Amino acid sequence: MTAADFQALLPFMCVAAAAVIVMLVISFYRNQTLSAILTLAGLLVALASLPIAWSHAPRAIPPLLRVDSFALVHLALLLVGTVAVTVFSQRYLEKYRMERGEFYILLLLSALGALILAAADHFVAFFLGLELLSVSLYVMVGYIFVKEKALEAAVKYLFLAGLTSALLLFGLALIYAALGSMEFSALAAAVAGAPDGLSPFLVAGMLLVFAGAAFKLSVVPFHLWTPDIYQGAPAPVTAFLATVSKGCVVAVLLRFFAPLDPASQTGLFSALAAVAGASMIVGNLLALLQDNLKRILAYSSIAHFGYILVAFLAGGENGPAAATFYLVTYFAATLIAFGVIGYLSPTDQEADTVADYRGLFWRRPGSAALLSIAIFSLLGLPLTAGFMGKFFLVAAGAAAGLWPLLIILTVSATLGIFYYLRIIIAMYSGEGRKSEGRTADAPFAPTSATVLVLLAVLLIVIGIAPEPLLAFIQAATTLAP
Amino acid sequence: MPDAPYWPFLVYATLVLTVAGGILVLSSLLGPRHQERVTGEPYESGVPPTATARLRLSVKFFLIAILFVIFDLELVFLFAWAIAIHELGWPGFWGMVVFVFILAAALVYEWRMGSLDWTERSAQARLRERREAFAKRQQENAAP
Repeated sequence: MTAADFQALLPFMCVAAAAVIVMLVISFYRNQTLSAILTLAGLLVALASLPIAWSHAPRAIPPLLRVDSFALVHLALLLVGTVAVTVFSQRYLEKYRMERGEFYILLLLSALGALILAAADHFVAFFLGLELLSVSLYVMVGYIFVKEKALEAAVKYLFLAGLTSALLLFGLALIYAALGSMEFSALAAAVAGAPDGLSPFLVAGMLLVFAGAAFKLSVVPFHLWTPDIYQGAPAPVTAFLATVSKGCVVAVLLRFFAPLDPASQTGLFSALAAVAGASMIVGNLLALLQDNLKRILAYSSIAHFGYILVAFLAGGENGPAAATFYLVTYFAATLIAFGVIGYLSPTDQEADTVADYRGLFWRRPGSAALLSIAIFSLLGLPLTAGFMGKFFLVAAGAAAGLWPLLIILTVSATLGIFYYLRIIIAMYSGEGRKSEGRTADAPFAPTSATVLVLLAVLLIVIGIAPEPLLAFIQAATTLAP
Repeated sequence: MPDAPYWPFLVYATLVLTVAGGILVLSSLLGPRHQERVTGEPYESGVPPTATARLRLSVKFFLIAILFVIFDLELVFLFAWAIAIHELGWPGFWGMVVFVFILAAALVYEWRMGSLDWTERSAQARLRERREAFAKRQQENAAP
């Protein structure tokens, strides 16, 4: 390892060091604010070190990681997401007077796993990152263990994630059996060397790896855990689950499948197309039946990752850029939604039914406005970032000629209007009596208010002027075939 | 790899299914069927069982066992390093220093959390206190 290698790895080292420092500090002095500040400092230093790492990109850290501009863009996105989750967690955990410092250790470790996934260039790094991410998440999902739903969600997540880790490992073993190597580049070489078809071992292995990743993305048919766990987990953890733990898997999948040519791998890609189509339809249809805001967002996230898979299937030059851009818009909107839900939740129960939000605008106009912007963006209304995200997805899909999927996307996204507007209507109806909905009265902490408003401004700015961000992402996410 | 013959695998799979299925079928055919008053009781060499098997064991043993397994597993890496110490040189040494430092930090955390105290005030007691404090707080919130 040279000095340049270390500089390229600075973001990872900052996050890892922050985890150890927080652990040592809470051993001697327990203070939730201090733990949160240390965590934030670690994450912000990691963000600040990204330009240093950028100056050395692209740099392979053999054999596990590859720090290139694609990885760094995703690293920045994941770190920003984790910063927002840290800020939301601070106030949320304060409501439950428990020993809370450990939460930040778990959050940092989970984020480190996500960062490793975004830069993985080797199956060992892939598995290591995924496990680091999941094992910390098991505990985070059940962290407020005095709430009964939280333990249920944690146990469900543990079993299902354990099962998918097994699937993933079996897939990796099959790929290793076929290739004799665990590097992504060996996979690319094998694909280039066999234009007329891959060995059945390799295809089965890749399908199993995709199944493992699909569980994390919660796309149909691996989506069953999503609504229960979104509902049971504390709102900031749900925000983390919905954004960071999914974004990093998209990054690793983009890199993993980049060498494949859709035209020559029809079997594999028709399986992916079926998953994408089913996710869009099932996610949007089942969201219609829900009365719980967290469950609606869970089902809609299933649909959103179906949309992202369209860009993923489109591949080529525009695919990775469109998927990354969509991730940015999805991250911002989802973080706002769960941040606001976390804030409005009283201690005894989460404020998560649609009825809780009745008349919210008349009681808490600020929260209602933030939530509305997030929902409009998730819905994809023009002038919000979500519209631009969908636009570039459709453009990428159209360039690749994925017409059946695009028709499903358009039709099923229209269904989204029904369940998203139900929330909006609930918020703006009623007269603002306190008895109308069960939400907390406490004002927003200045830190979280800043983060929420910044995210909302970001959504609008991207929605009006997407070119700079898109040009940046397009330049950065071009993956070498 | 793809050229390897498949039939040994099929033979093996058939054997597995035959043996496992055979054992299940035979034991259900030949096994005892009677259901008497003491059939379900555990056999303790002819002596009637006296108490329930659900004893209360100190959770302490469990915790110590877990801690031992964790540290034991981690220390295995030290052996791997010791074998290759000359090949790895100073970079390997510094890598190990970082590794041992993180282990030591974990040990400090464990010690400060009271996992190593063999006294009345165990981690379980603290957990209970926390639960009670939370319940009290809930009541306070509900009261007004």
